[in-house]
Amino acid sequence: MDPHPSQRKSMSLVDVPQVIAELQSRDRANEVVTAVHQIPAREAQWAPMPDWIRPELADAYRAKGTAQLYSHQAEAADRIRKGKNVVIVTPTASGKTLCYNLPVLNSVLENPDTRALYLFPTKALSQDQLEELQDLGRRTGDRWGVFTYDGDTPSDARRAVRQQGHVVITNPDMLHTGILPHHTRWTRLFENLRYVVIDELHTYRGVFGSHLANVLRRLRRIARFYGQAPQFICSSATIANPGELAARLLEEDVEVVDANGAPSARKHIVFYNPPMINRFLGIRRSYINESYRLAQEFLRRGLQTIVFANSRLHTEVLLTYLQQANRQAPGQPDVVRGYRGGYLPLERRDIERGLRSGQIRGVVATNALELGIDIGSLDIAVMAGYPGTIASTWQRAGRAGRRSGESCAVLVASSRPLDQFIVKHPDYFFGSSPERAFIQPDNLEILVNHLKCAAFELPLAHDEVFGAVDLPALCERLAEAGYLHRSGDYWHWTQEAYPADTISLRSVTSDNFVIIDETEAPEVIGEIDFSGALTTVHPKAIYLHGGEQYHVERLEFEQRKAYVKRVEVDYFTDAIRYTQIRPLDVAEDACVAGPAVRVHGDVQVRSQVVGFKKIKFFTLENVGSGKLELPENEMHTTAYWITISQDLLSSLSYTISEKQDGMFGLLYALESIASLLLMCDRRDLGTTIGEGAPPEAGDTVWPAKPAAGGRTAVEEFFKPTLYLYDAYPGGIGLSEPLYRIHDQLVRKTRELITGCGCENGCPSCVGPAGETGARAKEAALAILDRLCA
Amino acid sequence: MAYDRFSHISALRPRGGEPVRTVAGAAKEEQFSRLARLLGAEERTTPFGCHLAVSRRFPDPRPCTLGPQAKRLLAPGSGPEAGDIGRWLFLDTETTGLSGGTGTYAFLVGVGWWEGDCFVVEQYFMRDHSEEASMLLDLVQRLRERPVMVTFNGKAFDWPLLETRYRMTRAAVVERPAIHLDLLHPSRQLWRLRLKSVGLAELEKQVLELHRGPDIPSHTIPGRYFDFLRGGPEGPIVDIFRHNQMDLRGLAALAARIAGLLEEPENTGNDAGEVYGVSRMLHRHGQELLAARGYQRALGCGLPEGADRVARRELALLARRRGDFRCANALWAELLGISNDGLRAYEQLAIYYEHRAREPEHALALTREALQRLQESSPAALEPHQHRKWDAAFRRRLARLESRVAGRPGKFEALKDPEEIL
Repeated sequence: MDPHPSQRKSMSLVDVPQVIAELQSRDRANEVVTAVHQIPAREAQWAPMPDWIRPELADAYRAKGTAQLYSHQAEAADRIRKGKNVVIVTPTASGKTLCYNLPVLNSVLENPDTRALYLFPTKALSQDQLEELQDLGRRTGDRWGVFTYDGDTPSDARRAVRQQGHVVITNPDMLHTGILPHHTRWTRLFENLRYVVIDELHTYRGVFGSHLANVLRRLRRIARFYGQAPQFICSSATIANPGELAARLLEEDVEVVDANGAPSARKHIVFYNPPMINRFLGIRRSYINESYRLAQEFLRRGLQTIVFANSRLHTEVLLTYLQQANRQAPGQPDVVRGYRGGYLPLERRDIERGLRSGQIRGVVATNALELGIDIGSLDIAVMAGYPGTIASTWQRAGRAGRRSGESCAVLVASSRPLDQFIVKHPDYFFGSSPERAFIQPDNLEILVNHLKCAAFELPLAHDEVFGAVDLPALCERLAEAGYLHRSGDYWHWTQEAYPADTISLRSVTSDNFVIIDETEAPEVIGEIDFSGALTTVHPKAIYLHGGEQYHVERLEFEQRKAYVKRVEVDYFTDAIRYTQIRPLDVAEDACVAGPAVRVHGDVQVRSQVVGFKKIKFFTLENVGSGKLELPENEMHTTAYWITISQDLLSSLSYTISEKQDGMFGLLYALESIASLLLMCDRRDLGTTIGEGAPPEAGDTVWPAKPAAGGRTAVEEFFKPTLYLYDAYPGGIGLSEPLYRIHDQLVRKTRELITGCGCENGCPSCVGPAGETGARAKEAALAILDRLCA
Repeated sequence: MAYDRFSHISALRPRGGEPVRTVAGAAKEEQFSRLARLLGAEERTTPFGCHLAVSRRFPDPRPCTLGPQAKRLLAPGSGPEAGDIGRWLFLDTETTGLSGGTGTYAFLVGVGWWEGDCFVVEQYFMRDHSEEASMLLDLVQRLRERPVMVTFNGKAFDWPLLETRYRMTRAAVVERPAIHLDLLHPSRQLWRLRLKSVGLAELEKQVLELHRGPDIPSHTIPGRYFDFLRGGPEGPIVDIFRHNQMDLRGLAALAARIAGLLEEPENTGNDAGEVYGVSRMLHRHGQELLAARGYQRALGCGLPEGADRVARRELALLARRRGDFRCANALWAELLGISNDGLRAYEQLAIYYEHRAREPEHALALTREALQRLQESSPAALEPHQHRKWDAAFRRRLARLESRVAGRPGKFEALKDPEEIL
């Protein structure tokens, strides 16, 4: 990315503060614009080009307009020069690619044998990087080869990449299936591998990150075989724990460079909560329509605007609205364009050029633009819906921000609990650091799969270390299962199959369902984990994929196939699942206020999808339901749970049924806050209510959510327990952190519920009124009061 | 609450369903000596350890020679040693899988060479993974003695796999063979028309008329070896040795047959497919005169439809190059029709009448006929993109010819296809 683009002048007729003042003046009740936060301008912190940089490289950068460096760029280059692993944490458009390109290219110029491997999470980012490096190459007399190596690389070009690529740009999936299992063809690379660059580090969290950590274990093993121990250079968007995440991924010491030296002009962040249309039910105006209206107001005033939507469907809707509102004379190019994953580099260059020249006034994008793709900066960013995490909110907001001239980012809240919590608690958002990213490299399902790949790549020595597991015991198990054979001090691979082929870095087990679109000629459009399949692609479900809606026609359970057809409906489906949970092993437990007990450990989760509800978009009305007969699913994972004492429950002046409503409401709110605090997708967490230990004391079956239409047969729990569990077999590292932040979790949950303006429950706090029970909200609060005491 | 963390891991479940048992120690020793006895094998010791080796001589038919003509076709541009069959080394590996990559092992490597009246087969076997380096080191000696490697699909499979094994074990630094004759490609050329699948066993049966006797299906080979590693029976391994021997002897016989066919292309017998295949190879190597005679002869023997058209097309193109337009035109006229070659014939004739014979009216009539037939053709006759391509080409031609016939040459000059400037 060009760190010092020529300064782009705003073409607007009015300035940003004026528009904000107008918005505020219209909000008479003072409940729509819930926050206007200012980030003061900052001066650039400069540092000279280090004297060890080769003159030809310094000249090439100077010719591109970079004569001196920002302070963080110089600091990063210096630490890399000293041989340290670093993670560079700076906001959007602060010139982070220079931080690694400068030292890497310098060492290629010093020693032409030097090799570097760049990992990007997406192909589009690889393309941007390729062009930047090729441009620098031309300016220094073509002294290095830079190639991308991915699924699109033609087979006749692959030999050249392997032999002549000083910098090989690829992605974790290709490294996993295409490079490591064939390392003998990559001898040149591995014998000289000095640097591994991992860009967009923050995207490697959860399942994907846990896989990457294992792929890197394999990479380091292979490098060691060729006598190399490469240095790692990571870059990350702002998250709470970049150093910790990098250290867990790399399993080596990492230094953090986070003192940003790039300049910026003053910036405003506005929180916008669509007005209420039904106060009792907690229903607000559609946030999509509000986002459109706001974006159009900015565009009308000549402010260049980017709109972010959370799905492809919403991107398309907003794009259509905005293009209609800004219709051009026939034959004239649109002034508002769409931008999402899958666009070709040429198309993107075209959009970038149009933005730079000012011909394109608006862009509607998905999170594809959250990553480091260079489109430069605009006047306004409108976010249609909370992006899910504080970190990505800042990243999207970072798309608005000129070096000179003020800019503004507007967050338009939907009615989801997270959105509502954020816009109603601006101090929480502005006062707290972004989320932490968690991974669990020692998740046994994931680790064992990579152990197979590792054995395929190089026999495993009996005294090798691969993660924090009992490797000899695991190898024995793999030998019993026919995967390995021990010969002397080594374990060898003894299968015909090629293990990496069946292991996807995006899911935990390889037992996946294939989703086949039959709208036209049958086409595979995706895969889904076994555990996710039952709740998302059951018969008659509405399956959302890439923003499109699909109706599940039938599910072939044995064949692991779901057949779908594209539809357009105004509802989504929510599976009704009965979940039974049983603690297997307590890792830690402690008594907490309440009195209650907090625990984390291993659990067995058995669940069965027994039906589904149809829920209308926006209003979240229940518009229908159906029964299903699907097999039961069993999973072992990790969980965090709170067991509420009988003392606490008996001290509450509610009926048994009301207390239970309260617990379900509490769990609903806990889940929202837990995913907020952990920076995880809401789907990464499962919840259920059950008995605490002892596990043998009857596995009471409870619906995950109270079924519509009231419950009968109310049993009193012996030890009522609220479970939040990792929704992936083996766990991805969410449970232990939840255990650690128990106090914060219950306090924030209380803030969410007390801060909600609804009468007795709504989708934004304890669940929609009418489904949660009349006194759910107050009962939940009563329990929380005790837990927070 | 102790529980077995491993018992729920689906990645640890046996692929076949049943767990496997492995024997070790004395039982393994006994298994090794039983195998050596059954095979008549010796245990060889190298600086890297030991492995098993079997050497056998077969009174197979006299070796062929590789004459200059056959050498030109099989190993173009190679040095004189390619023709010296004393330096040939036949090679075939038995592996733990076909997918390649660093986790696929060549556990049995068989090599063969002609020596006096005999064909010698030597086989190296790793009884366990720890014997791999020793086995590979032993093999290096043979590779160095005989630098001309002869294989069936060895360029894509056996050799890259062995290269990987040498790099993995660091047993020795091996160079790519100076000359590598991979018989898969010439076999495909020669017998593709006759056989559905051009595999070594099929070639032996159908072309060489050799009969193997009892043999094992190749896909059982990895499983037999994995069983043996864990202490399973030796018999299934003995079968693999025999299978490998037969592959090598078949390979040698095939080499002799191919060398003979290619050396005397004029006396290849009357198998149309073989004659056609030899002609294609001659043509590719620039021996146009011999190729043309071969195509003629193949046509005389009766070729299947597709090959018949290719032979006529190539003959016509060769005739055009010689300047023999009468011959070319006669062949094009036979080819006219709805197929890529048939449409090409229309095009070539139209070009001839337009530019050579200066009879644009004739060219126009041919172009109209081609378009007419293209429109009437069934959708199955051509791939849709080819249909579009030809349709567009003939329309362009039609427009140009019409304006030319109507006496507007200016436009025609500007639109002249570069291809037509002969």
